[in-house]
Amino acid sequence: MRLSTLLIALALAVAGVAALPAEPPKHRVGDRLKQSNGGAKSGHNYQEIGWNALIPTGWDPAAPFRNMNLGALSDADVRANNALELMRKAWDEAPVEAGWNGQRVRIPGFVVPLERRDERVTEFLLVPYFGACIHVPPPPANQIIDVFPNEPVPNMRTMDAVWVIGPIEARRSEPKTSSDRRMGMGTAGYRMKAELIEPYKDR
Amino acid sequence: MQWLALAARSAWNRRLTLGLTLAAVALSVTLLLGIERVRRDARASFANSISGTDLVVGARTGPVQLVLYAVFRIGAATNNIRWDAFRAIADDPAVAWSIPLSLGDSHRGFPVLGTTPAYFEHFRYGDRRALEFSAGAPFHGLFDAVLGAEVADRLGYRRGDRIILSHGIGGAGLPEHADKPFTVVGILAPTGTPVDRTVHVSLEAITAIHLDWQGGAPVPGFSIPPQYVRKFDLSPKEITAALVGLKSRAAVFRMQRRIDDYAGEPLLAVLPGVALDQLWEVVGTVERTLLAVSAMVVAVGLAGLVAVILAGLNERRRELAILRSVGARPGDIFLLLTVDGLIVTVLGCAVGVLMLAALTAAVRPFAQSHYGLGIHLQLLSLPELRLLGAVVLVGLVASLVPGYRAYRLSLADGLTPRL
Repeated sequence: MRLSTLLIALALAVAGVAALPAEPPKHRVGDRLKQSNGGAKSGHNYQEIGWNALIPTGWDPAAPFRNMNLGALSDADVRANNALELMRKAWDEAPVEAGWNGQRVRIPGFVVPLERRDERVTEFLLVPYFGACIHVPPPPANQIIDVFPNEPVPNMRTMDAVWVIGPIEARRSEPKTSSDRRMGMGTAGYRMKAELIEPYKDR
Repeated sequence: MQWLALAARSAWNRRLTLGLTLAAVALSVTLLLGIERVRRDARASFANSISGTDLVVGARTGPVQLVLYAVFRIGAATNNIRWDAFRAIADDPAVAWSIPLSLGDSHRGFPVLGTTPAYFEHFRYGDRRALEFSAGAPFHGLFDAVLGAEVADRLGYRRGDRIILSHGIGGAGLPEHADKPFTVVGILAPTGTPVDRTVHVSLEAITAIHLDWQGGAPVPGFSIPPQYVRKFDLSPKEITAALVGLKSRAAVFRMQRRIDDYAGEPLLAVLPGVALDQLWEVVGTVERTLLAVSAMVVAVGLAGLVAVILAGLNERRRELAILRSVGARPGDIFLLLTVDGLIVTVLGCAVGVLMLAALTAAVRPFAQSHYGLGIHLQLLSLPELRLLGAVVLVGLVASLVPGYRAYRLSLADGLTPRL
């Protein structure tokens, strides 16, 4: 009978809505997010920037290897290992671009949640590429932003793609002890008090 | 508005059958909202259990498993990490503080945690809240213990009481460390986290009570009395896991990499926030299935409602015919029957919400003490309201069916002389 068909359809519809599968991931490991148009936007009091803008001009992690012929070294070579070690150190010591201090910016990135209050995220790291915390080498210090949202963010999961907007703070604290300096452990890095966080959409 | 009163009176006339269907709808609504509430509160409860910690470090295992046993005391560790591995991490210049955790013993079902005073100083929960003492202070002596609020409350312990730890985790019948009793020196304020269910002792004490043990049992004929244990080297050899806080949170990936690559033994470092997300991914499937099942139950309840009203139509032919004869239009009949179903749905939702409130109040202490699950006493949250709205909407649509049928019947019935 028509009625029973209707009822069954109704029940199935309700159940179907409830059982909606989780969204499949949209990004692959290593993916980066595109800028919307690039460059500054007029009409807003923030500047849209890319991750490269956070690297100080003139900083070159490859500088120590300029005079080395890396192609000629085999993987087992001690010099290759030393070079890798040097590279990693340079990465860890990556300086920040002080010029951004206090500027209001808009930047896209992936979320690594740090702190939650109930189910809402109150602090997270913003990283430039997908999977940064798991599968690929960690990004250098100047490619991570420690974000404090003004309002705790609901429904935020690891590796969600978002735009964050707010004033950025470039902290260039000097290493405190000599051992810190030796290990390259200054606590330099970017922070942001995010005024607005929007989901990232490809446009 | 006259027909509203009519609908109510007619419904009252059929109170038994409608009452039963109302109960069915109410129960299904309780189930639906209950599942949603437990889901949300479980997540909040887990998320509030740890804060301010950058990395959880343990032997190499799954990230979810590591966080489950190290932070929530659910399940057991597959392997320990050596003390020198912990020292190497703790002495890393990037590390601001570190808390060693040694699990495995229990006291009357409550887990015992061996740690250092750093625990009371650096451990954070909820929104970066520090632990507070409701009585006493952190442990200083070898056989001192600090109790979580729940342990003290349920077992009725006070400062100065002596307690005996059992070897292993589980119920009754565990071998006891009876020769080395502990003195309660402090009791923590309630936190609503697994800390409440934990007995805290020093790492040295954990070593000390296992001095004369071998392979999980006391060695027969060999016992070291408590007054002599200080002559032994009580520095810990192994711990279960560690919590690590960094000077700069942005250094977390580098430190994680450094720990994962530690040459001495296979270690695993996880960001608690990321591990929790992974846990929810796993649990999410089950949650959605449960929600789907309870939505089906609601659908069944509403289908029952429609069936009852439809079945009643036959008996109410006379009633409807009389209504028609005194001037009710077919449209009025349609409204009358639709409102009939809607009233039952709305009442069912209301009763369901009340039952849920009563149930939450009743189950709360049990969930808190047995699962460390903090359930909020709250009438309705926004997602719950949304679910209720959906139920009412579906109820309305379903009620249109008997309404339409009565509308058709009343047209035909009005023309047939036979009654």
